[in-house]
Amino acid sequence: MSSGSSAIVAGARSEVIASGSIGKVVRRGTLSRGRLQLDEGRLIRHDEDRRDLEPAAVDDPEACLIDLRVKLGRLELRNPVLAASGTCGYIRELAAFVQLDRLGGVIPKTVTMRPRAGNATPRTVETPAGLLNAIGLDNDGLEHFLEHHLPYLRTVGTAVVVNIAGETIDEFVAMAELVGAAPGADAVELNISCPNVSHGLDLGIDVRSVAEVVTRVRRACPLPLIAKLTPNVTDLVVIARAAADAGADAVSLVNTFRGIAVDWRRCKPILANDFGGLSGPAIKPLALRAVWEVARALPALPVIGIGGIANIDDVLEFLVAGASAIQVGTANFYDPGVCERLVAELPAKLEEIGATSVAEVVGTLRSNR
Amino acid sequence: MDGTAAGPAQRLVTIVENRPIARDTYVLRLDDPLTASAIRPGQFLMIRPGGENDPLLGRPLALYNVVRDPGGTAVGFEVVYLVIGRGTRALSARRAGERLSIWGPLGNGFGPPPAGGAVVFVAGGIGQTPFLALGGWWLGRESCGGVSYAGAAAHSATLLYGVRTSELAAGIEDFERAGIAVEVATDDGSLGRRGYVTDLLRRRLEGGARPGKVVGCGPPPMLSALARMAREYDLDCDVSLENHMACGYGACFSCVAPIVQQGGGTDLRRVCVEGPVFGAAAVDWSA
Ligand SMILES: Cc1cc2nc3c(=O)[nH]c(=O)nc-3n(C[C@H](O)[C@H](O)[C@H](O)COP(=O)(O)OP(=O)(O)OC[C@H]3O[C@@H](n4cnc5c(N)ncnc54)[C@H](O)[C@@H]3O)c2cc1C
Ligand SMILES: Cc1cc2nc3c(=O)[nH]c(=O)nc-3n(C[C@H](O)[C@H](O)[C@H](O)COP(=O)(O)O)c2cc1C
Ligand code: FES
Repeated sequence: MSSGSSAIVAGARSEVIASGSIGKVVRRGTLSRGRLQLDEGRLIRHDEDRRDLEPAAVDDPEACLIDLRVKLGRLELRNPVLAASGTCGYIRELAAFVQLDRLGGVIPKTVTMRPRAGNATPRTVETPAGLLNAIGLDNDGLEHFLEHHLPYLRTVGTAVVVNIAGETIDEFVAMAELVGAAPGADAVELNISCPNVSHGLDLGIDVRSVAEVVTRVRRACPLPLIAKLTPNVTDLVVIARAAADAGADAVSLVNTFRGIAVDWRRCKPILANDFGGLSGPAIKPLALRAVWEVARALPALPVIGIGGIANIDDVLEFLVAGASAIQVGTANFYDPGVCERLVAELPAKLEEIGATSVAEVVGTLRSNR
Repeated sequence: MDGTAAGPAQRLVTIVENRPIARDTYVLRLDDPLTASAIRPGQFLMIRPGGENDPLLGRPLALYNVVRDPGGTAVGFEVVYLVIGRGTRALSARRAGERLSIWGPLGNGFGPPPAGGAVVFVAGGIGQTPFLALGGWWLGRESCGGVSYAGAAAHSATLLYGVRTSELAAGIEDFERAGIAVEVATDDGSLGRRGYVTDLLRRRLEGGARPGKVVGCGPPPMLSALARMAREYDLDCDVSLENHMACGYGACFSCVAPIVQQGGGTDLRRVCVEGPVFGAAAVDWSA
């Protein structure tokens, strides 16, 4: 699937080049018989490969450009579709089904400072239109990640967001420092919804801890910083505000909802860990609500919407509700090619409503009241 | 997208046939030349039973048989499944002509046969499914995924097949037609011998038989008993594990099994990527 470029007109605006460490993207498209045809944007890493950039030729005055680029604080992405942490392994796995350089970004599975075996099995159980999981952050630790996974991730041709979880705030800071110092990451996502942190509290449910971890990580790591929040709180806006005030470039909403599945015959929870996190289409309305609430209360804070996204209408719903970008999670499991398809389908959907950019639909949801 | 012949790909494929062959047991034939020409015995597919969101996930099903046209070209494949829950029940309601989302071939598959040796397959329940294609391949009768063992084939293959009761015995004629001898054990004695399938193997071993390779697939207690017997008789033994899976391609870390590592100790490894076929001695059965 190479990106053929013949007969496609590039508009002058397509020369706009993203800044920062995420490379540069050129997107070209034309309107033909009312249907948008797109030549995929090309990624140009810094100054290498510049020879590959074909000059923009505006030989069609009606050339229409759909601008898919999004800006999340200091992080710029070529389009708003990312693969969510924990749902695409270390990205290699997804590469069999998706041309990675078409995506806005990829987020490998959460890495912790030390290797973790994770939970016993069963680790997942299917629920109505959803999935309950308790994987337990099974991973080989940060050193292994930096040595074995990051070098590969540098080659995938899209933004790489490294998702980290510390057991303490100090550990978060130490990890972010190491990730920031290693070449290859374009941003850091803090998974602040894991248990066993300092104060004996879930770090992500305590306003002061959230503020502290974001503040200190920002000081320790130069990369754009995303705080991934748990929805298992009374007031998500308070937590999101703390993250924003402390300097987070964006917040990811949401991680999974705590739940259990019961085997009533055995009088036991089905998951070995008893409790798990619910994801998939079942949580979409809850996630949309979270996104809308936070986006309305904090209009300056970029939000990345996550929860049950599986088709292009879901993507538009999240964008309209206030998400500047989205992550696809569980849908990768049951539709491995979904992320690439969403990127391909997005321009036509935007065109359908007369939009010429992603940015202009973000947060356009209006209350009925 | 249709990938190259070797790697896995996701496809929408058409159902040619979905027909009962035993109690609660169906053979599903799919029209899919690309998967059919790439897949090797022991590999599996993820098949979404259908419906939009419920059931949500794909179900892992092993390759049963590659379907060939009269000229020998692989044009499709079959899986055989037992209805046990919501997904397989939904699958059984799908009709010829409908389309299914599948992805594969997945997993490592089996290695080469013991050239000139006898192989024994030990199947518990629906665990017989990987062995039809494997028998044809190891006996040198069929080339799978571009690999043929015609020059280094096993000289005989036997399926020891344990099911609860005769009505659940599925596909025995298929195995016999493929040149695989079949011996059955049932819990209730309604077909073959009464007892466990591992008893069938033990009788053979006690009678002096020394197969060049033993392969097992079935419920964990059966596989664990098989692994013990393999150690006792010093047999070359592989097992194909059927762990619960959500994605089938390494993305979710649901399907882990305790696997003995080279440097000692065990680690939880993904069965869908590193398996489903493991050496019996590589699995930590105590965990
Ligand atoms: C590599 C591999 C190959 C397999 N090959 C076959 C085959 O050829 N024929 C066949 O009948 N069965 C096979 N199985 C088992 C089959 O996948 C399950 O019986 C099936 O997923 C049950 O789905 P369900 O919705 O009907 O049951 P439910 O119990 O409702 O399923 C709930 C969830 O548990 C999973 N699950 C339940 N039982 C099993 C099981 N035994 N193994 C794996 N996952 C399970 C399901 O996939 C689903 O996600 C294989 C499993 C694996 C891992
Ligand atoms: C099996 C599984 C594992 C996950 N692992 C992680 C993880 O390691 N780190 C993380 O930040 N989120 C993890 N998540 C949460 C997802 O990234 C996502 O936030 C959540 O599943 C909601 O989105 P979805 O409904 O699209 O799946 C995991 C989710 C699932 C289903
Ligand atoms: S089933 Fe998802 S990693 Fe194996």
